Amino acid sequence: MESASVAVGHGHADHHHHGPPEANQSSRIDRQTLGILLFIVSEVMLFGAFFASYFFLRVVVDPPSWPPEPFELPKAVAGMNTAILVSSSFTVHYALESIRRGNRAGLKLGLVATWLLGATFLFIQINEYVHLGFSARDFSFGSIFYSLTGLHGAHVFVGLMLLTFATIRAFRGHFGPKAEDHLGVEVPGIYWHFVDIMWIIVYVTVYIL
Amino acid sequence: MKFNEAAVFKWVVIVGIAGALIVAVTLLTRPLVGALLLLAIVIAGCVYAYRWWRARKRH
Repeated sequence: MESASVAVGHGHADHHHHGPPEANQSSRIDRQTLGILLFIVSEVMLFGAFFASYFFLRVVVDPPSWPPEPFELPKAVAGMNTAILVSSSFTVHYALESIRRGNRAGLKLGLVATWLLGATFLFIQINEYVHLGFSARDFSFGSIFYSLTGLHGAHVFVGLMLLTFATIRAFRGHFGPKAEDHLGVEVPGIYWHFVDIMWIIVYVTVYIL
Repeated sequence: MKFNEAAVFKWVVIVGIAGALIVAVTLLTRPLVGALLLLAIVIAGCVYAYRWWRARKRH
């Protein structure tokens, strides 16, 4: 209605609308959520390429045991790290449920807890790299191990940056209970869940199977 | 189909439970058994997704 009156360009509706007309939105989901959905689809393809390389190397190298003989992976430490990352999904969900109910303290608590859990995960992973005893130069196994876990670690880092912005905004009083008022937490939350799902797959594939 | 944080969180729980099951089975038996369980879960997931898509298309 408003855009129609703007298109005509006459009448008192002009007083209410400044700048270019509203962008047309034909999709049933808002553009920010659609954007993160398309981004995640592209990320799935990126991880898929790395997993394809992993399985290709595993089949082609075909050692009697996996990981190959001198290498050993800390399953227990990585398992604990997995639990930390999965629990961070619960805290980001708690943060969003809180703001949906108008609980700003819960939002802040959830975001800070998620950030701390994510940072702990990254710290433990870097510590694991230091103590592993092999590098990305050590045969195809070392290369693909560091590529796959490093790719995921980079995603955790990006997720932490997004959470940092969301947390700063939360402490500045941004966001509200309406869906369109907390997209700044919803979109990083979706990304964070995706990073968690990818880690579960990486952990099961690389460390366990 | 709804795509929001709550819907994606459900997938974290589903993948987490499936992952925990595979880890437990693999550590209790052999990696081959875990890999076969993973394959079975993936096939079951694909069948469920196909049936869901067909049912949605009919309505």
